[in-house]
Amino acid sequence: MSAIITPEQRILGAEPPIAKKANRLQATKLNNQMVNAYWEDLFRAKEEGRLVCWTEGIQLNPILQAADIAWCHGEAAAALLAARKESAAPQAHMETLGYDRELCSYARTHIGCGVMNQSSTVEAQTLLNVDARTLGSRIPAPDMIISAYPFCSTGQQWDNELYRTFGKKVPIFNISMDWVWGNKSSAKYMSGPEFREKVAFLKKQLQDCVRFIEGITGKPYDWDRLSEIMKYTKRAAELRLEAMRLCKARPSPASFFEWTNSIAPVNFLPGGPEIVHYFEQKKAEIESRIAQGIGSVPVEKYRLWWDGIMNWNKIGWLSDKFAGYDACMVAGRYTHMGFWQEPQVIDLRDPLDGMAQNYITCPISISAPQVIEKIIEHCEYYEIDGLILHGARTCRAFSYPQYMIADAVGKRLGLPVAMFEGDMVDETFYKDEVVSSRVEAMLEAIDASRARMR
Amino acid sequence: MNTVLDKFAQAAQRPYEHVKAWKQERGVKAVGTLPMHFPAEIIHATGALPVIVQEMPDAITSGGGAMYPFFCGYTRSIVDQVTEDQLGFLDAIMFTDHCVQLLSAADVIRISRPETTIHFHQLIASLRQPWSLESSVKTLRELVADLEEVLGVVVTEEALRHSISVFNENRRLIRDLYQMRRTGQIQLRASQMQHIVKSSMVMDKETHNALLRELIASLKTSTAPRSDTVAIYVSGHLCHAPRPEILDLIEECGATIVDDDLYTGYRYVSTDVDAGIGDPIVALATAYIRKNDNVPCPTRIDPEVDWEEWLLGAVDRCGAQGLVVLLVKFCEPHYFAYPRIKAAFERNDVPHLMIETEHDGVAMENVRTKVESFVEMIKVQRAARAVAA
Repeated sequence: MSAIITPEQRILGAEPPIAKKANRLQATKLNNQMVNAYWEDLFRAKEEGRLVCWTEGIQLNPILQAADIAWCHGEAAAALLAARKESAAPQAHMETLGYDRELCSYARTHIGCGVMNQSSTVEAQTLLNVDARTLGSRIPAPDMIISAYPFCSTGQQWDNELYRTFGKKVPIFNISMDWVWGNKSSAKYMSGPEFREKVAFLKKQLQDCVRFIEGITGKPYDWDRLSEIMKYTKRAAELRLEAMRLCKARPSPASFFEWTNSIAPVNFLPGGPEIVHYFEQKKAEIESRIAQGIGSVPVEKYRLWWDGIMNWNKIGWLSDKFAGYDACMVAGRYTHMGFWQEPQVIDLRDPLDGMAQNYITCPISISAPQVIEKIIEHCEYYEIDGLILHGARTCRAFSYPQYMIADAVGKRLGLPVAMFEGDMVDETFYKDEVVSSRVEAMLEAIDASRARMR
Repeated sequence: MNTVLDKFAQAAQRPYEHVKAWKQERGVKAVGTLPMHFPAEIIHATGALPVIVQEMPDAITSGGGAMYPFFCGYTRSIVDQVTEDQLGFLDAIMFTDHCVQLLSAADVIRISRPETTIHFHQLIASLRQPWSLESSVKTLRELVADLEEVLGVVVTEEALRHSISVFNENRRLIRDLYQMRRTGQIQLRASQMQHIVKSSMVMDKETHNALLRELIASLKTSTAPRSDTVAIYVSGHLCHAPRPEILDLIEECGATIVDDDLYTGYRYVSTDVDAGIGDPIVALATAYIRKNDNVPCPTRIDPEVDWEEWLLGAVDRCGAQGLVVLLVKFCEPHYFAYPRIKAAFERNDVPHLMIETEHDGVAMENVRTKVESFVEMIKVQRAARAVAA
């Protein structure tokens, strides 16, 4: 474990030595270009006379794109601000207003953007010290809000708060996403009467949502265009899954961090040939790496699983930190179990049903017993040595099953875990010293286990 | 009177002992429910005893190994109760409320104790959709069918109507007590009111009704003006009881709690089920949708109702001179709502104080100092206004 820091370094408060850097995929640069272009396009939407919808949770962007509506995905906006170290301003605005720091940081950041957006007048800028040049205040105000959050009640309440932040003047459409709990033994992952009932209910609400959109645009909805968009989205999702599955190779040619950096095309970027091209490039690069035996980290001694949402302001940093431990974060729940994770069920002639099926089986919308089974499948497939459980402090929806996951993988696969708290976009919850000591202890446990096996 | 109040207090303080004794005595089943909007009339109609699972004051022990500490005290407490094998006397647990922490706790319970029958029938949280009522009716019909299967009984419409009538009477009797307390006709402490409501959540309703009638008949009403204490309205604790010590402490600081919207308070009894609606399931679903008009719940999505405005009106109607918000740490719906309450009360110059509560303990002397200052501030304002007048 070449990157483990000494007690002396800890006392001096030194940054952990990043002895090795992760070997980043070239294709990721293309993702960054698309993401930048998307945001710049959104910032111009009002000037160009386009309607803007604020939404979060599930990927409603294809539905909006087909109606020529620009969209701001709340988590994406919060993640962008975090990645660019600009999340502190909207979070500070929220704290000034009395919103507690233990409240979902995505919501605090996104609603904070709304507050800043409303406060962009000269007077408000003086009063609230809002800088109109910041990213948060550049996000255009919504003409409509669509709420559709799986499992997490905080998501619905977040949208409700946005609605009130904009003075109840912006029309809102609330989609209720039922949780497939599984009251009967017939309820299985993506099958059984309970699942089909919930999908049908969601599909009906999506159809009503389209009527809501028609009421605002005043135009008939273009269903053919939705099918066309979903054709690209589906293909991009298939390519992404194929490329991810290739990472079973040793050394793994790409890491969880790379897949985190590739969420945008399957989460909020417009559906089109560009996102398909992106995953073709990515897959080709991965295949090339496999042929050459190039890994995502310089030395792959440990293969790990990341459970939990990403700490968006630390992607590159954590990527290098684990490379320094000779550890490759091969896969994770956030990336490998969500974001059009079941593209094969999308029928392009009637895409809403398949879309609903994907929405309702995202990793926070399936119950813990199913989450655990899926994680075990992944851990076996990718030959994982240990699990990192990142308890995102203000995302209780993602964090709650982690003790059960730790228990199950320990009992059934004999894998050690390292649990620590952090957060999605509030970096004050991340304590690097705790992370280092727990990760190092886990890696030592893996070493000890291997020594016993020899 | 004291005997009746003692019975309520005993059931509220040792709810599970009461339920176990009732089961043994009557040979009935007991079905646990999780807050906040579960229509317990349905369980009553099966012949089983409905029991709202309560937060217990015990320190979190083994449950701490199943749930992160950044979940609310109620959910950590119920997980701990399960891992400590304290809820084995329940024949099943049912719940209907969409709250991320409640769902999380239920899932942890299911995995921690697979032998527990714990079922979920999700009531739509968005109350003003064109399909909200229809969806609620469908959910409740599924709940009835599920209970029939789990308990091996048949629920008749007649039984449902009877249960609705019994529950309505219970709500009405407790509301009568609230009204007498608001007007100063009776002097019941807030902790005594909590015992009355909390015991209703775990006792057989007919028995509870009989005790309520006995209590009301025995209470000495007075027309004398309220004492010189500061009248306070208490709001919050959306799904479980605040520790009675906090309520007592507020009243020890020169305040009288005259009204509340607590879950173990007026919120629980705010809305009757309309017995005039022919189909009892439709009646129960309608009551669920309409309940938000009577006491807004921030866990529900209702663009037409503003809790902060409603609270201003509620404080005014009961003659309270200030509001104390009891906010449970990590309760996200309350975190969302509180800044608007704070702003509305500041805008209208109505004194308010927020106290954050935690399962693991509240620094009571710190709270005492805050409440004493709050009460003194109101008294000073009151005196200043009297002089100005």
